Amino acid sequence: MDNNLIMFQTVTHVMKSRDLLRNNNIFSRVVRTPIHLKNRSCGYSLLVNNNFDYALDIIGKSGIPVVGTAAVDFV
Amino acid sequence: MIYFDNGATTFPKPNSVVRAVNDVLRIHGANPGRSGHNMSMKSAEIMYDCRMNAAQLFNIDAPEKIIFTNNCTTALNYVIKGILKKGDHAVISSLEHNAVARPLEFLKGHGVEYSVADYAPYDDDKTIDNFRNAIKDNTKLVICTHASNVFGVKLPVERIAALCRIYGILFCVDAAQTAGVVPISLKDSYIDFLCTAGHKGLYGPMGTGLLVINTDKTPESLIQGGTGSLSSQKSQPEILPDKYESGTPNLPGIAGLNEGIKFIMRRNIELIEKREMYLTQRMYDNLSRINGVILYTKRPDSEFFVPVISFNIEGLDSEDTAAILNSKYNIAVRAGLHCAPMAHSFYNTENTGTVRAVMSVFTNTSQVDYFTSAVRSISRFKKNLK
Repeated sequence: MDNNLIMFQTVTHVMKSRDLLRNNNIFSRVVRTPIHLKNRSCGYSLLVNNNFDYALDIIGKSGIPVVGTAAVDFV
Repeated sequence: MIYFDNGATTFPKPNSVVRAVNDVLRIHGANPGRSGHNMSMKSAEIMYDCRMNAAQLFNIDAPEKIIFTNNCTTALNYVIKGILKKGDHAVISSLEHNAVARPLEFLKGHGVEYSVADYAPYDDDKTIDNFRNAIKDNTKLVICTHASNVFGVKLPVERIAALCRIYGILFCVDAAQTAGVVPISLKDSYIDFLCTAGHKGLYGPMGTGLLVINTDKTPESLIQGGTGSLSSQKSQPEILPDKYESGTPNLPGIAGLNEGIKFIMRRNIELIEKREMYLTQRMYDNLSRINGVILYTKRPDSEFFVPVISFNIEGLDSEDTAAILNSKYNIAVRAGLHCAPMAHSFYNTENTGTVRAVMSVFTNTSQVDYFTSAVRSISRFKKNLK
């Protein structure tokens, strides 16, 4: 199972994206962004384990701006 | 106490509001949007939930367009001072609260000018004409109260918004007296900014307010600082809502506001308006039958009014009437100028003020009848004194 982060400019977009993915049956979790990635994010990110590309596509189509993605070693 | 000072702030608050405030202070009162621990995450979720519910209330598609403020005045200041710069012109109605008039007076000293468009009682066409005639080449912003906080008269804000769109002018509505009492939908609306209190018709705690941004032309931020986001960046984030929410937010207030919004959505705003208007009409009818009571408007109806009544007793200072209602009848009203001297000037009550009574969802017919019988007694007592 992959651990992929999707980063945003505000925690409001993180939660909005989480709800959007949930409505599309994709599970994600709000987590703190690792410090080495924080200059690209609001401090929180969305951790997506499965269907990452599909999740990105859904978020992109909704118009919520994504500032970056990263693969991480979260437990 | 029988409370008719709901125009200043609604009281009592729903139990769910009290519980939510209490829960934050006792159980999960961590700083939201700052940390990763469970309590901070719960706090952030409360704020997000409130944004979502406010977005639903005002029928706007994006929770990030809901900005938490301390009150409606702060929200109005964000818009007025964030939009208007030296050389700009603004238009306001003749019924504005000091929350609009004073920031503009302040800006007059910084090269901003403004004009006043007269409200035309019960004649929306004429009111629109007055706004159109007040627009200049350098008009950048029109600010208008949705309803007078003193006399309850509504202004045709959707039509003024459409007028502003034609002229390419931003439009801001002061909905302090209408949010939660009158249905407001920003979907397909030309209203660019909606400012409101959280502690009046939305039944949240005092110290809460909302700025709803329905345009891409966002005001400059007046306050910069920590937002919990983009911390390594020196400049203020431009993204909403962080752009306007520096510093630790009023989480207990926002949690209460969230429950207040849910409360009125459960009750249904159309039904709230209908019931409060019925009570207002009952009060108006009772007062109109009392010798010596001065009323300043026609009989209120939902087309032109929100549930607010202003009156005076002939020969009695408005503050004295309020003091007698308080001391002898245990009734709370607000007298004086209600921070809206422009509206009082328009109705020629700037020297006397008025006594204002405003309904809430907790007001009932017995209270209205007790209130009007108290006014009758005071009026009769006054007559006997002469």
